[in-house]
Amino acid sequence: MALHQISHHFSGTRERASLPQTVHCGVVGSGDLEVLLEPKALAGGIEVSICTPVTGFDHIWEIVLKRFLENGPLGNMQVSINDNNATPAVVALRIQQALQQAMPGETHHE
Amino acid sequence: MLKEHNWHQLKDDTAQRLNQLAPYFRDGKIIDAKDTVAVLEAVIRSFDRVNIEGNNQKQADFLSECLCQLDPQKIYGLHMVQSSVPLSSHLDLFEKGIAEKLDFAYAGPQDGRLAKLIQDGKIKLGAIHTYLELFSRYFVDLTPRVSLITAFEADKDGNLYTGFNTEDTPVITEATHFRQGIVIAQVNKIVDKVPRVDIPGDWVNAVIEAPRPFYVEPLFTRDPGLITDTHVLMAMMALKGIYAEYGVERINHGIGFFTAAIELLLPTYGEELGLKGKVCTHMVLNPHPTLIPAIESGWIQSVHCFGGELGMEKYVAERPDVFYIGQDGTLRSNRAFAQAAGHYALDMFIGGTLQIDKYGNSSTATASRVSGFGGAPNMGCDAKGRRHATQSWLKCGEEFNATQQQLIGDMPRGKRLVVQMQETFREKRQPAFVDKLDAWELAEKANLALPPVMVYADDVTHVLTEEGIAYLHRCEGLEQRMAAIRAVAGYTGIGLAADSAQTAQLREEGIVKTPEDLGIDRRRANRQMLAAKSIRDLVDWSGGLYNPPARFRNW
Amino acid sequence: MNDLRFLEASARVRASSLVDKGTFTELIGPADKRTSPHLPVLNEAVEFDDGIVTGIGLLGQHPAIVISQEGRFIGGAVGEVGGAKMVGALMLADELAAQTTDPARRPIVLIAFETGGVRLHEANAGLLAHAECMDMLQTLRGRVPVVAMIGSKIGCFGGMGFVAAATDVIVMSESGRLGLTGPEVIEQEMGRSEFDASDRALVFRTTGGKHKYIVGDCNYLIADSLEAFHQQAALIADLDWPQIEAMRRIGSEAKVRAQMALTQKISESAPSDARDVWAMAGNTAPQSLVDMDLETFLSNVKRLPVEEA
Repeated sequence: MALHQISHHFSGTRERASLPQTVHCGVVGSGDLEVLLEPKALAGGIEVSICTPVTGFDHIWEIVLKRFLENGPLGNMQVSINDNNATPAVVALRIQQALQQAMPGETHHE
Repeated sequence: MLKEHNWHQLKDDTAQRLNQLAPYFRDGKIIDAKDTVAVLEAVIRSFDRVNIEGNNQKQADFLSECLCQLDPQKIYGLHMVQSSVPLSSHLDLFEKGIAEKLDFAYAGPQDGRLAKLIQDGKIKLGAIHTYLELFSRYFVDLTPRVSLITAFEADKDGNLYTGFNTEDTPVITEATHFRQGIVIAQVNKIVDKVPRVDIPGDWVNAVIEAPRPFYVEPLFTRDPGLITDTHVLMAMMALKGIYAEYGVERINHGIGFFTAAIELLLPTYGEELGLKGKVCTHMVLNPHPTLIPAIESGWIQSVHCFGGELGMEKYVAERPDVFYIGQDGTLRSNRAFAQAAGHYALDMFIGGTLQIDKYGNSSTATASRVSGFGGAPNMGCDAKGRRHATQSWLKCGEEFNATQQQLIGDMPRGKRLVVQMQETFREKRQPAFVDKLDAWELAEKANLALPPVMVYADDVTHVLTEEGIAYLHRCEGLEQRMAAIRAVAGYTGIGLAADSAQTAQLREEGIVKTPEDLGIDRRRANRQMLAAKSIRDLVDWSGGLYNPPARFRNW
Repeated sequence: MNDLRFLEASARVRASSLVDKGTFTELIGPADKRTSPHLPVLNEAVEFDDGIVTGIGLLGQHPAIVISQEGRFIGGAVGEVGGAKMVGALMLADELAAQTTDPARRPIVLIAFETGGVRLHEANAGLLAHAECMDMLQTLRGRVPVVAMIGSKIGCFGGMGFVAAATDVIVMSESGRLGLTGPEVIEQEMGRSEFDASDRALVFRTTGGKHKYIVGDCNYLIADSLEAFHQQAALIADLDWPQIEAMRRIGSEAKVRAQMALTQKISESAPSDARDVWAMAGNTAPQSLVDMDLETFLSNVKRLPVEEA
């Protein structure tokens, strides 16, 4: 047994601002997750890697990531997630919080 | 007229039983605890309908344990009629063959075992009721022959003091005594004079001082420390999108964390919205500790209680302008009256559930647990006999007109607000929105006549999730209602089937509102918003009057 | 942000709030992605900081090395990576101490404990980390004050209870708990009649801040706010050595003898509850201390004297 790894790549076809700074959000508590956003030159694209004990939910991950990252405001970033059984609603919340933190002028919020 | 007919057979039978009880009286109606089993054997006959006072809080636990000690060769086939069966001894009766039939309302922690016993044929199930429904049947076709009740104190004449936790005692005693039944009470203490007569002594046949105080469960205490940011977000949505929108004054809150969060947001977010004095002024509710900050801030004008809550005794006694209090200074609760009030006199029921189906029916049943209904359905429905009008009831009725007109033409009528709050996923990522309720599977497994539905879709007016509020009663027809449910069902299978154009249309029409539509800043939705963040804070708010049970202390 | 409870704060928020505003720099933070090598094979979720935040900031002119444990990640249990980060932070304090003789710039170590001790999934590495921490505390002895900050949900138990005991100063809030064997383990080993772990009032009056203050296991009992912990840290950073040394509960033969004498005295009185011990200290209505607010408590409470034998 080992932790399940999920990877995604969203190409830089859409107009997105570059992630200006590294951002971290969340704690890997039970039913929760952490999201790390790091600047990376990907021609506007986004790379996502997820590490989770949960299997069988890959399609839900994809839907959530598409909604908030692919259709989100920021690109040129590496998104790394450690998950511990979070519900899709919590995943969506933490990703939104991380993106909000990353936007210029936003104060740190945890 | 048949001259030969004996019209007082019940009375004769009772006299004969009481005759057998007589030798055990020590002083007045007092019987020694050691004689309890013998006394029960003297007054109970096989196939009797018997009530053990099992409320959802206080329990006649000693009498229940003694009943289990009867010889099943001598006494068997009892038909238990009681509101709750949360103690293992309640079900041991069936395992031992002393009892065989059950009519009840709520199973609490015994829900899994109850399902198994029904499935194994050890329990013949009459029906699962709501409290008010079962109490009503006590006066029709389920009157107990013998009732084993419980109180704090008794005197030798049998006068009972039920104190803080009166709960079901009056309704059980009235139904039993006035149909020639026998009433036996276990009490914590025999005293010379009770502080207040809650049950008159001549309705009670015998009193027993139990070897230990009766068991009470602190069922309504929610630790503010466990309220999450999502609970706060949903509570903000409820306050802005429902309480404020309709000006709801008279309310019952469910017992979960969602409503605890609402109670703790009244003095903060509610104040900010300018709602004080305009909403949530009258409540039918147990004395929830999380209500303390709202009461102390002057939000709440009155609270009538089903039962008490451990640790709230002193606080309630010191707030007689708000609670219903006896001359002795303690709370008078009464489940039957509170349920009736909840059914007829409230404008809104708001609470959590476990599962909601694609039509909006909701249930707390799972496939292997018969948990029962308790009292929620009596509040989570439209009271069809209601005739008095309030602002929120009328507004909700107007919005329901599209549907209502098809049955009553242009006649105006109000509607109760029934709000189901639920995160789209429960723990372990179980979806809260499902195609088909687990209740169907349970009905099949446990041979129930119907799937146990807590709140039917036609009664639900609002479904509130972290995604948004669906104003179901504003919809025209089932198709639109289902689309509104899909729009707030998030990433569940039901939610993923939502059509984005249709959802946009529903938002346009005000049938679905997201936090953004309501003008709620998600970043403010965190625990900082709570008026109390811990049990300790509640003690502070109460000026030291609230004395939480040991298990809730972290100091 | 600083009106936030210490009790509710995450390890990272606690770490940055203990030092002066805006001065905190995290070392080996999430972006370094030093996750546990042991958890993945057990299919257990990992965290980029392995549940321990380490970093440095300032308290006035004092460099403050901060270690902060996250109770929400595996109960704050210490494994190989998190343990190594703790040890590394203590080594950094040692290096910084060697660079100055100016008392105004003397480093200080602040450890915000929230842990049950060793992480059982990687017990050998975790235990070793405990030993290395204890070793480093000896190295820092007399040069860098090490302060335990205890006021988070899990409390400080297990092997880390020993580490906390070996620090120079212990600061607690009334919601903080300090002990060796956790309540659940005591119940499991000794039976429910001996110790009912579900009776939280019992648990807190046996391991909580107020009790530890009365028996002298903690030096300061303070309010449950990030600001109160920050202010207390700043105050301690400015103390001179004799004052710091005086606050140690153990660390010399005389101190150990005094502790043993106290233990002897308490056990001779055969207390059946912590309240009996409070009464021994001269508190005539011990139960009344439980619900007392901090200010009233501090001005009324009588503490057990730990007299040097």
